[in-house]
Order: sequence, then structure tokens, then C-alpha cells
Amino acid sequence: MYSSALESEFKKKGIVIGDRIRVEKDGKSNEGLLMPRASESDILVIKLDNGYNVGFSSKGTEISLVKKGPKKAPEIPCHDLKGDISILGCGGTISSKVEYTTGAVYPAISPCELKKAFPEIEKISTIRANQIFALLSEDMNSDHWQIAAEAIKNEIADGVKGVVVMHGTDTMTYTSAAISFMLQDLPIPVVFVGAQRSSDRPSSENEMNLLNSVYAAKSELAEVAVCMHATTNDDFCYLHRGVRARKMHTSARAAFQSINSPPLAAIDYRSKMLKPLSQFRKRSDNGNKKLKADLKINDNVSLIYVHPNIKPKLISSLSDYDGVVLVGTGLGHVPTNPFGDKNAKPVLREVEQLIQSGISVVMSSQTLYGRLNFNIYTAGRLLGDIGVMGNGADWTPETAFVKLSWVLGHEKDQKKVAKEMMTNMVGEISERSVIL
Amino acid sequence: MIGIEIHQRIDSCKLFCNCPSLIMENESDAKLTRRLHPVYSELGEVDVASKREFERERTFEYLAYKECNCLVEADEEPPHFMNPDALGIALEIAMHLNCKPVDEIHIMRKIIIDGSNTSGFQRTAIIAMNGELKTAKGLVRIPQISIEEESAGIVESKDNSQSKQNTSTFRLDRLGIPLIEITTDPDIKDKEHLHEVAEKIGMIMRATGKVARGLGTIRQDLNVSIEGGARVEIKGAQELKMLPVLAELEENRQRGLLAIISELTKKFKGKLYFEKEITDVTEVFSETQSKMIRAGLDSGAKVFGIRLPHHSGFLGKELQPNKRYGTELSDYAKSAGVKGIIHSDEEMGKYSISSSDLSKLWEKLKMKEDDAFALVVAEEKTAIKALENVWARATTDFIPNETRRANPDGTTSYMRPMPGRARLYPETDVPPIRVTDELISSVESGKSDSLDEKRKKLQKMLNSEMAEVMIKSRNLPLFEKLTARFKKTEPMLIASTLENTLVSLRREGFELKDVPSTLDDLFSNYESGLFVKSAISEILKLVTKGASVQSAVKEGKLQRITGKELQKIAKENGNDLQKIMQKYRLNVDPSELSKSKK
Repeated sequence: MYSSALESEFKKKGIVIGDRIRVEKDGKSNEGLLMPRASESDILVIKLDNGYNVGFSSKGTEISLVKKGPKKAPEIPCHDLKGDISILGCGGTISSKVEYTTGAVYPAISPCELKKAFPEIEKISTIRANQIFALLSEDMNSDHWQIAAEAIKNEIADGVKGVVVMHGTDTMTYTSAAISFMLQDLPIPVVFVGAQRSSDRPSSENEMNLLNSVYAAKSELAEVAVCMHATTNDDFCYLHRGVRARKMHTSARAAFQSINSPPLAAIDYRSKMLKPLSQFRKRSDNGNKKLKADLKINDNVSLIYVHPNIKPKLISSLSDYDGVVLVGTGLGHVPTNPFGDKNAKPVLREVEQLIQSGISVVMSSQTLYGRLNFNIYTAGRLLGDIGVMGNGADWTPETAFVKLSWVLGHEKDQKKVAKEMMTNMVGEISERSVIL
Repeated sequence: MIGIEIHQRIDSCKLFCNCPSLIMENESDAKLTRRLHPVYSELGEVDVASKREFERERTFEYLAYKECNCLVEADEEPPHFMNPDALGIALEIAMHLNCKPVDEIHIMRKIIIDGSNTSGFQRTAIIAMNGELKTAKGLVRIPQISIEEESAGIVESKDNSQSKQNTSTFRLDRLGIPLIEITTDPDIKDKEHLHEVAEKIGMIMRATGKVARGLGTIRQDLNVSIEGGARVEIKGAQELKMLPVLAELEENRQRGLLAIISELTKKFKGKLYFEKEITDVTEVFSETQSKMIRAGLDSGAKVFGIRLPHHSGFLGKELQPNKRYGTELSDYAKSAGVKGIIHSDEEMGKYSISSSDLSKLWEKLKMKEDDAFALVVAEEKTAIKALENVWARATTDFIPNETRRANPDGTTSYMRPMPGRARLYPETDVPPIRVTDELISSVESGKSDSLDEKRKKLQKMLNSEMAEVMIKSRNLPLFEKLTARFKKTEPMLIASTLENTLVSLRREGFELKDVPSTLDDLFSNYESGLFVKSAISEILKLVTKGASVQSAVKEGKLQRITGKELQKIAKENGNDLQKIMQKYRLNVDPSELSKSKK
């Protein structure tokens, strides 16, 4: 975006982005293509013939048009309806390219384009592709979970052998958990895949992750899984259970880990390896079961991080929600002040008031690893006594949040909610804490 | 016409992270395994050089060092801001070369997928433009100065015949060290001029005292073109004195190629072109005695051949010492991953290819009288790709724009096609840097003297001969430091210690471990009157054997004799100056002696 003064000068001279222009100042002249720029400025960005971009101040500079730029070729529409494996695009880094109007990376490559970019895909399986939306994952909410679930449901009804969902990594595991609850007794694999390095880099791990996810979508698995780099090397990927995966690094390739359970499998399409690392549901386990789809979800649930100096009024302010997930300390605690310290400020009363007003309150832990246990300390017992749910669960805060949203989508009664919450549905609560 | 590109390491931390710029000598601490693939530029083009590179199935291993590598070099963390120290130094050098800083610096990614960058690109940015250098043969224009990241250093490249994969290993210590790149226009007139330009730019940079020293810290690339030829970039010349040789041999190569193209064009009656006929000739060699072909066949490879019509005799034409036209074709085949080609202008005996093999081959390839052939032994896909490259090069009726590697003997080898603008697109992880007036004035205030200013200063301190030696010397920054610290010591003594004494000691086999700290110790003891000038050489000899300066003086009985003691000696020797100096040359300052005599 250029300053309004520059924009009007361009208009007067018939210059648009992509044209070849000349800038002259103090007797020195430079030529190149006019490039778009991110923030409003009076500095011209010119691409020189050697490919470098350089910024020239427009002050005291004579700008002239040298040659009009080429017209853009019309984009080929993306429709592809045949193929055994369905790739659904939701956006994210895996399908991103540089956006030259903002200078940042944005999701734009359609699954069709990816097919062209990675012809190796079709050596693994025939594919069909559809872009359901193109969003940065932080912009996604439960409406998008429903749209994605609907799309996956339709693909299953259409008889595809597996579904791959390309998704931004930041909130991928919220969506993978949501789909896990919404679409149960899956007859086929639903594999979420993303990338930490954008596709405009030669080092992007998008290719390896995507090809492995297609390979996984063809496999015996019949669960929602997340397929991402296992290590910093471009060697193999892990398949994580959709309700167990968590993004544990801001930028590294091996950011995703299974929390409180081993990954489902290690996978490498190149060596045709799918090595199970824990028990998972197989296509053959499905028998005559039909897909159980329940897409209803309650978007009025909050997720609150407990911290020193947490204000009782923060808890009271949650009274308009239908459900609250607390990310408590340690085994699942909030300040309760059982020893009557004069400086401590408990929030127990406020939590109890929420529960008494009909709000379902669920515990999870900041430690991420390990199981909740309300029986060890007084704080936990007090929380259990007032009806906080979650004692004994080993879920991640995000999975607890998604599960509560989904349970409250079809159940209001607090007792029934508690019963459903504490019933393991898709592997979100494990009976045994395995030695990893 | 010759242009030059000089890459000089800047003496600072790395360009886009806070790792120190170290070259490690110990074992690496971690190993990463990666692969790279080509991408589209912002203009929707794929760079020809990176496409060619991707045709080879390659895996890259990176050796990382805890001390000087972080997640940025591992391509696991986005780059931080551009190191302001490095940018300041680069801008300072740009100002010394009369370049004008750009108003806004845009960091670009230069796609390089040969594995030498974990990201698959090198970050680079133009920081200044439109400068010039005054030389004895006129102005040499400097159209641009950039700052960029040093690449990772290659350790080895291995072909695995079983997996048909190439694995290249690189070390990451070097990756990300800031480089300044100075590019001249093709204004360089001849070989002497080339030497002058390269030397002068090097001196201007070193005069700042803010660039790295030592082997590998400066590299020169050449751009050579002749009338009717092509622009060829020659990379990786380590020694200044090789530049004129490289330029001359490249001009010869282009002249030779022009002659070959013109003769072949005549043979092809106006248009150098023929159809691509690549044939599987494996069966021809089923009974071969050739060990090399046999070994290939045994490991599952095949032999493929291509007929090159009218090419008989041309493949053997020498373009550079021991480099023939056949070498040019072979270099293109190699870029597809084969070891080389066998061609018909070679002596078949060296491969033990029998005349019966040969006649079967002629038949199979349907060879005519003045035809030539090229063979490769490799896995089918690679072999076909290699011969396609040979065909494409042989049907090119002009000299291709290429990037070539400098060989130690001054010849060059093909590396890749000259990369185009499609290779560059914006580094979106680092916002553009506005070159503000504040930035410029802060660089100006910290700017060191220019080369000319330095020369004037040196001429005041030293005789004109020594001043000229010192301005070109690697020891200049140390000289400046020592003269600033030891104001009572004559600058000539410091200069001659650095330029003469140390050199002759080295010749005699006395090598000082730590020159800066030894000389610091030496001159501080000199100023306190511990010894006289003439003892310096003897003291340093003892220091190379592990002594400190003070203990060396004691050990060598090199203490200065002065005052009453000197008067006593003078009396004892009958005030015979010559006699005294003969005896006490290493202990007595002759000027004091002559004064005391009076």
C-alpha cells in the first residue's frame, strides 16, 4: 500500500503494480518492476533486473513509466471430484504462500495446486481435493469445526477411502479433537496435517507431512489422527490421536507431541512403513457400525488459566457461560486457602457459585503431563466437594474444553454432563498411565 | 570484459541470530537430516538453476555445534532482526566506496537448493548502490553492495548406488556469518587492472579493522564475457593471484567455444540442431572386458548412448588445459548425478573397450562417418537424464550463461546455469529496514578513516616505503592499536617489528603463538626501559619457546645497561664506542652511550 500522494501520482501516469518504472534522483537512475508493499508508505519498492527488491524514497524523485507489466493469467478453478482419498483444505501454513500486498505469509494454495506441486501424491493414491475455507488457524472457531465435520461426513457418504484435512497448526488439535467427538465410529481414517515452514521455502516440511498423511489416510487406521514431523529430520512422521496431540513448540518441525499416551504410529511413505506405537481403531474393527455423527456444539464455554493473584471477580465474571474449563495448578487446584492465611485470596466460593448457578466447571492441569487427582490435597478435595468435574482424567486442557463444548451441545443437566465428561469416548481419558 | 564480486566476512555475530561467528575445530554436537524441493518465486517462476539441482535425488546432513548454532541455523526458528553491528559495518564500507545507501533495505531469499543452506535459500539484501572506485586505469563502477549470510561448508558428498541417492554433508558453524558483497560493473580492462581493483577493495575493507581475517574470510567471484560470448560467473577463487589466470583461461574457453559453434554450424548447414536419440546399449557390453562398465552392470546399472552427428573430432578439442569440449558435455551429464561420460574422441583403451564392443556400439547407435557418441553408465532414469543434458548442451548454438567453479589450476568447471531473478523473493519473516538519517549519522560518527586518510597518517609516522608496506599489510589494525597504546615508542620500531622482525623469525622457524598479546607485553617492557631495540629479535626467539618477555630478558641476559653501570663500562673500555657496541650490542642504547661520553 502506497501513500495517497503516490497512489494519485501512479494514477496520473498510468502506473500499476507490476509495471516497469524508472526512478531518478540526484542524477542517478534506477529501473525495475513496481512491487506492492505492506504498510502505507512513500517508499517505492522496486524489483531490479537481478531480482533484488530495493526501497527508494519518493521524495524529490522523478517517477516514470517504462513498460506496462504483463496481464495476469486467469486462475484455473479448482474442482476435482474423483479419487480414493479426499484432501480438504482449511488453510494454514501447509497451504500458504507469500502475500505480497502485506509481505506476510497467508493460506492460499488450493489442494489442486498442491497436487500439481507434489506429483508424488498420486503415486500413493488417487486423490480428490476441495478447499472448504482458507483461514489462519487462530481465526477458526466451533462454526468451522461444524463446517469441517459436515464436509468430512459428506466425503464418507460419498465412499472415499480416507480423508486428509490440511489445517493451520496453531489450533489444529482443537479441530482434531472436535471432529473426534462429532464423528464417532469412523469407518475410515481422518488425518489432519499441517506444516511449520511455509510452502514457499525449499525446506518446507509440507511435502513430507502431506505425503505421509495421504499414506496414513490409505491405511488400516479408523480414527481421527494428526500427522506431523516426528523429529527435526526429514525422516518420518508421527500419527497422533486427534484428542491427544498438542503443539509444543512455536516454530520447530517436531512441534506436535502426544500428551499422556504414545503416538498411534510412526509413518514413512517412502519406505512404506506404518509402525504401530499404541493400540488404535482399525477399519476392520468397525463391523456393521454406522458413522455416529453429532455435530451440535455449544460455543459458550470458556477456558481459564489459574495463576497467582487470580481475582475472585474474574471467576464471578464467567457467570454468563454455560461451561468453564479451569487450567489448574498441579494435580488440579485453584487457590482455596485451607489454612486461613491472611494474605491468600481464594476463589473457591466463586467457583462454587458458578456450579450452583448451573454452569459445568471442569478441571485440567497446567502441567499437561499426568493425571488429575483431587484426593491428595485439601484444595482438590474442596473442589471435588463443590462439584468440579475431571478428577482422575488425563486430558489436555484443550481436549477438555472441546469435549465440554460438545457435551453441552446436546446435554444441559449437570449430572448427565458430568457422567458424559468422565466417560472415555474416543481415547481422551486413558484408564492406565502407561510408562512412556 | 571483466567484473568482480568480492565477498568478505564481517567481524561480528551472525546476521540473523545472536550466535557468535566461530569456525569450530572440535567434533559436532548434533546431526540433522533434511531434503529440499524447488518453489515458485513471487512472479510465479521457478528458477532454472534450482530446478536443475532438484533433478538429483539428494539428502542433506548437517553437523551442528552447540557453541555457534541455534534453531535459526537449524531452520527450526524464524530469523531474528538483522544484526545492527553487521549492517553498520557494511554501510561504513559502502560509504568508503562512495556508494549511496538505499532508503529502505529489503531482505530477499536467494533460492539455493544445493544444500548449502538449511532453509534452501540465502538471505541477502542490497544496502547501497551506485558507487565507484578510482583506479590507475579509470573509474570502476560499483552498482551495488549487499549484505548476506555465509553458507554452510560442505564436508563430503557421497553417492549410494543401492538407494540411488546422493547424500551431502555440511557443517553449520559457518552458516549465517555476515558477508558483505561488493559487485563491480564489467569496467575492468585487463589482468593488471583486475589485480589492482581486487587488491584495492580488499584494502579498503581491511582498513576499517571491522572485517574478519584469515583463510576463507574473503572470496572473489569473476564475471567474464567476450564479444559474442556469454556472461560467465566464476565462483570460489580463494587467491588474489589466481584471478588474472582465471579471467584469461575463461576468455580462451569462450573463444574456443565460439570457434566450435561456428564450425559445427557449417557442418549442420546453417543450424546447429539434431534430434535427440538416446539408446539403451547395455546388451552391446554383455561380454565386455571393461572393468568400469562391468562393475556398473554388476551393480544393476545400464549403459545408455547418444549419437552426436558431425561431432567427430570436436569433443577432443581443448578449451582450457586438459579441458576439452567433451569435458563441457560431461559436466552437464554430471549435474544429473552420473560420474561422467565416455565419448568417442577419447582413447577407448583407457576403458578397455574392445574394437568388437566398439563396432557393435556403432551399429546399435547407427553411427555415420563423422559422428561422435557419448555413453553413460548409470541407473536408467539418471542415465537418460544425463544424456538429455548432453543433448541439450550439444544443441545449444551459443555460449550458455553459466556459473562455473574455479579449479586450483585456473581452469573452471560447470556448476549450474546462471541463476535468474526468479531465484529471489522477499524474506517475509524480517520486515524491511528503513535507512534513517539517525542510522546514517551513527555509522558516520563511528566510521574509521578512509584508506587515503590512513595513508596520509602513516606517511607522517613512517618513512614512505614503510607507509606503503603498512597500508597493504594485514597487520595494519594491530599496528594502529600498538601505536595508540605505546606513544613513547617510535612507530618505525613497531612497524619494522611487525613487518621485518616477525617475518625473518618465521623464516628461521620461530613462530609466535599469540602475536597481539606478545607485542603488547614486549612494548610495555620496552617503554619501561627493560631492554634496547636491538634485543627484540632475541627476546622474541625465547618467547616462541614458551618464555614471557621478562623471563626471556633475564634468561638471555638482555637487560638494558644504563646510567652509572653504563658509565662504568664506558670507562673500562676506554670510551671506545665501537668496542663497547661490539661487546654490548644487545644491551646498550648507542644514543645514550654517545650522550654519556659527552
